[in-house]
Amino acid sequence: MDEVVKANAERQKRWTKEKKVGEGTYALVFLGVEVSTGKKIAIKKIKVGELKEGLDMSAIREVKYLRELQHPNIVGLLDVFSSKTKLNLVLEFLESDLEVVIKDRSLVFLPADIKSWMSMTLRGLEFCHRNHILHRDLKPNNLLIASDGQLKIADFGLARDFADPGYKMTCQVITRWYRPPELFFGSRYYGSAVDIWSVGCIFAELMLRIPYMAAMTDVDQIKVIFTALGTPTEEEWPGHTKLPTYVSVGQFPKPALRELFTAASADSLNLLSKFLTFEPRKRISARDALLHAYFDALPYPTHPSKLPRCSKPAEEPEADDKEGGKGKNNRLKRKLMSPEDDAKIRPVARKLDFGKLAANSP
Amino acid sequence: MNSAATPVPSHDISTKIPLYEASTQFKHWRHSPEGLSRVRQSQNEVAVAAIRNNLEANEPGSSADVAFLTADEEVLLVRLYIAKITPLCANFRFPEEVEATAMTYLKRFYLKNTVMDWHPKNVMLTAVFLAAKTTNNLISLEVYAKGIPGTMPHNVLDLEFLVAQSLGFEFAVWHAHRALWGIWLDLQNLPGGTLDSAAYDAAMSEIRASRLTDVELIYTPSQIALACLSLVSPALSQQWAASKLTPNGSETSLSLAAVQGVIGDIQKIIKANGAPPSVEAVRDVDRRLRLCQNPEKIVGSKLYLAKQAEAERKAEEKRNKKAESVRKTMEGDPFGSTLPPSKPGLVDYDDDDDDED
Repeated sequence: MDEVVKANAERQKRWTKEKKVGEGTYALVFLGVEVSTGKKIAIKKIKVGELKEGLDMSAIREVKYLRELQHPNIVGLLDVFSSKTKLNLVLEFLESDLEVVIKDRSLVFLPADIKSWMSMTLRGLEFCHRNHILHRDLKPNNLLIASDGQLKIADFGLARDFADPGYKMTCQVITRWYRPPELFFGSRYYGSAVDIWSVGCIFAELMLRIPYMAAMTDVDQIKVIFTALGTPTEEEWPGHTKLPTYVSVGQFPKPALRELFTAASADSLNLLSKFLTFEPRKRISARDALLHAYFDALPYPTHPSKLPRCSKPAEEPEADDKEGGKGKNNRLKRKLMSPEDDAKIRPVARKLDFGKLAANSP
Repeated sequence: MNSAATPVPSHDISTKIPLYEASTQFKHWRHSPEGLSRVRQSQNEVAVAAIRNNLEANEPGSSADVAFLTADEEVLLVRLYIAKITPLCANFRFPEEVEATAMTYLKRFYLKNTVMDWHPKNVMLTAVFLAAKTTNNLISLEVYAKGIPGTMPHNVLDLEFLVAQSLGFEFAVWHAHRALWGIWLDLQNLPGGTLDSAAYDAAMSEIRASRLTDVELIYTPSQIALACLSLVSPALSQQWAASKLTPNGSETSLSLAAVQGVIGDIQKIIKANGAPPSVEAVRDVDRRLRLCQNPEKIVGSKLYLAKQAEAERKAEEKRNKKAESVRKTMEGDPFGSTLPPSKPGLVDYDDDDDDED
């Protein structure tokens, strides 16, 4: 037998798969254990054989980057093996994700909890960026939570290396609500700042408990962003009107963040405004964000093990909890869903003041 | 501190190991020169023994007169096909990263496989296609196969999984040409006269020559880049290396002399092996390869057919078993009998029933 085939057979014996917990267009997810330790793991089984282009690009990206990135705040790829024509990724088992936690109405978030999740997200992201990797799909649903409370960035199916200056990239990345304005305007040259905008949206969502800037279409999304943060001036964001697909959506005044984030500290609003800076070159980096006064100020971040979490394990029936059924599904669901699959329309975070809008339109 | 516009400070948030040392390239694909020849030697011996067995099984007594390829001959043949990647990539106007990555893949593949099992002509086509994908330069399989005379899409795809597996699914490669670019950017920041870009272009030619050799399996990208620059301009390479030493020189184990030693070794290898092997030299190897190919991998050979039949028989058996168990269930109590105890750990990974729709 070929050495490579033999080695593969050895590898797959180290893991068992026990039950299917998710199914998507390109992968199946199983729960399993590491035979030698009994530790829980997840196996993502990717269909390869029937694909006419061979190994799928998202699978390649995911494997390529997770193979290289080892960090407490990035999901661990423990092994890769093949069975027949399927590619099996053995991943750390993570019981929940930040979206589930945010949606669980029974949980109360303290400012220290939010600080803890933010610092873990930024540490994982800083490590990606230090390794010259853009994630390009940050959202609460892709921030998984381990049983010890550690937050881990997952789903590198859209990730890529930083491009050299002058090398075009696609602007069709990042889930709409977390996508920065420059990508809506067709910017093909960008860098780590695109991920930072998403972090800002997640930060706001942690404070509000609902998505901050949620629109149903790309055109609406721009309008929602400008309503929330004010239409940028040429001075604030030089040259943005020259971007390939720039459209004017009207002049919106810049509301004070304080009006919506009534309970937030001055430091947190200052950091939020630096994440959500229009001019990508002025947007704060992950590294500078970690050095921001917000993280030095009281209260200190909650220890991961003490963070709020969905109390009941996924397997138990939750008869007395109205949200139970939904929560359970969410916990079992892995990263196999695009927002378009998610038929539910979530409420728009802010009140759109249409009176003002009309008054300000030319 | 809060200003987002300030340049990133040069010190690190935490004292971590250098990024390169966390890479799979550093961890899994570095060898000493002796280690490298040992790997190839034992790889070759195992392959010869297995093929001899197979030849005998196919036709007793047939392996006696076969002149199997030696490890060195295998390397020679692979080098010829590494050189062929350049025109192939130029044909598709792929960026240099695709070419360099495909060459690395081909070298790594033959640290785990033998040319007597898999001919480099085929593996090369797959390596380029896979490298285009892993470096984000995707091309449709159909367009790719059309661009190569006599190639069907399945010729490329058949080996893709095997190649990915042989690479250990470690697709990220650190290249010397990137390191050279980094050194060049550094040099622009050093005091001194203006830089002549001809030096950079000449150093790039040396980098391209180095890809035909084993240096990337032994040395780091920056060592190779510095060696190539030094071949072209010893003064520039000295200036750069000196700028990397700490002022008093005591806090680092790096000394100019040690750097010079490594650079000299790399240059020797590039000078010896940096040109494609002559077709004449390889022709004999290729001719003999036809006689010592593993019969198990030759479509239509007795052993190949036997193996196919065996696989088919097993699949048939499995289907029958399944049909049998379904029939039994149907015959008995419609609600089934008591469930057998589950047996975790005995999962058949080749059982892909769970996703056969």
